[in-house]
Amino acid sequence: MPWLDCNSRRIHYELAGPPNGPAYVLVNGLTQYVRLWQPFRDALVAKGFQVVSYDMLGQGQSDKPSLFIHQDDQVAVLGRLIETLGDRPIFVAGISFGGVVALRYAIDHGDKITGLVPMSSFAEIPAQLFMLGNALRTGLILGGTSFLQDLLFPMNFSSDWLDSMRHLIDLARHRGWLANDVYALQNLMESFLEFEPLTDQLSAIRAPTMILTGEYDFLTPRPLQESLRAHIPDSALVIIPRAYHAFTLEKPGLTAYLATRFAEEVMADRWRGKGSIWVGPENVGGELTPFPEGFDHMRAIPVQTSKPDRASQQKKATAS
Amino acid sequence: MKPFLGPLEHGRIPALQQTRVSAFLISAHGALTRQLGVAIPASLHHGWQVELHSQYCREMEILSLLGRATSWVPDPALGFRIWQWELAWLPRPVTGVEDRSQGVLIDLAAFGHALHTVIRPAALLPEGFPDEDPFALAMRRIEFESGRLMQAQILFLKGPQLAPVRDVVASAVETRHAQVRELWQNLLYSMEIDSSSRHTLMPAYQARTQPVPAAATQPGVAVREP
Repeated sequence: MPWLDCNSRRIHYELAGPPNGPAYVLVNGLTQYVRLWQPFRDALVAKGFQVVSYDMLGQGQSDKPSLFIHQDDQVAVLGRLIETLGDRPIFVAGISFGGVVALRYAIDHGDKITGLVPMSSFAEIPAQLFMLGNALRTGLILGGTSFLQDLLFPMNFSSDWLDSMRHLIDLARHRGWLANDVYALQNLMESFLEFEPLTDQLSAIRAPTMILTGEYDFLTPRPLQESLRAHIPDSALVIIPRAYHAFTLEKPGLTAYLATRFAEEVMADRWRGKGSIWVGPENVGGELTPFPEGFDHMRAIPVQTSKPDRASQQKKATAS
Repeated sequence: MKPFLGPLEHGRIPALQQTRVSAFLISAHGALTRQLGVAIPASLHHGWQVELHSQYCREMEILSLLGRATSWVPDPALGFRIWQWELAWLPRPVTGVEDRSQGVLIDLAAFGHALHTVIRPAALLPEGFPDEDPFALAMRRIEFESGRLMQAQILFLKGPQLAPVRDVVASAVETRHAQVRELWQNLLYSMEIDSSSRHTLMPAYQARTQPVPAAATQPGVAVREP
């Protein structure tokens, strides 16, 4: 079992796939641990990538600082891990909390990675997310990890998936409860208390970037992804149909397909982000569809984007 | 090495294992209770002191519960261990702070933090172990309460009054964590348990084709307060 030393902390990580292939580094979400990436990881390995997954500080088998976890330390761990991969194409994909860590790394060290995939991620914490985060933290404090999971399950997954997993939900909650320590989760959540928006720094990200968001993600809703698209120069936004927040778990094959396709386009120099907006396929192997022109991708109903406002045109005409 | 207590004897956690786990918890929680009793002033002046007082009362509940919910058996190996544990729990005032009383309080809080975070007794119960077993329920209640009780320590240790000595505080807490972890692990090893192996269990999402244990009871559900 490989371990990485970073600033006197021990980090647990796993490698899978060909050692000389292009690498994909996967950065966990809040309550995630290495083994939860397995189906996603296996799909990438099948396409010839070496996949690096690891437990962040405070997660799984990595060290769990007792009182304070700084996000700078998380970025340092990711950087240290990337250093060990040597000179080859390196892609970084992070989900939710992990997406923030990946974004921060890409802002400072974008030249060291070939591509970036923030998934269900964010660069700022508007009131809605702030209050949700606070409520989740209170839930953790009062009800423990199990209660936090009770809150997260319906936020993260679709009803269809939860129905299909109904017989395993108790086990999933138990395994999640075993893997996570309350104090460590609390420290991870409290590392956002000093969070400063990254929005103004996103333009420093030079790496090609594919932003993935779930169609129905209400934990980190589309305005947060739109902010990434609007500020990261070579980015494209891909909306995954019928997906919620944790689509790497609910749709690992489809998400891995999109990640593979992105990496292949970047390595073949075919990637053109251009701030474009796409609707992802329903199934592995399907095509991406450009978001219908003339419609507003920020709305949940098919509202046409505003054309030159008729009232203001009339006003101008009257004035002249 | 295995991740959980057992194998079960007549459907229950073996009495020797119950005895060892409870003896450790009584030693540690007992020491914390005694130290809290001395540290809490007769009249309270800060918010965190209210939390500590609440903790003092909850700790006494834990001690009473452990005494009654455990199936005790004689264990000669405990003699040396208890002596070792009691020595470890002795106050070690932190240096590098304003005054000795603050150093005592930081050490007390660090010890409480370590006790409530490092020790996860309910995580030792085999998956699917029934809730109505008194020892199991006691373990679940203690672990669930620990999640709340640690808030008193967090409030104090992360509070603004200790911000100027944050490094000293963090170091004191890490030291107590290491100490509690080592003693707890040694005890578990004596029962051939390695709690870290729980991280190697397969996630449920990948267990579709694997046999699923009987409904795994959730700590925090059975004892969740209204």
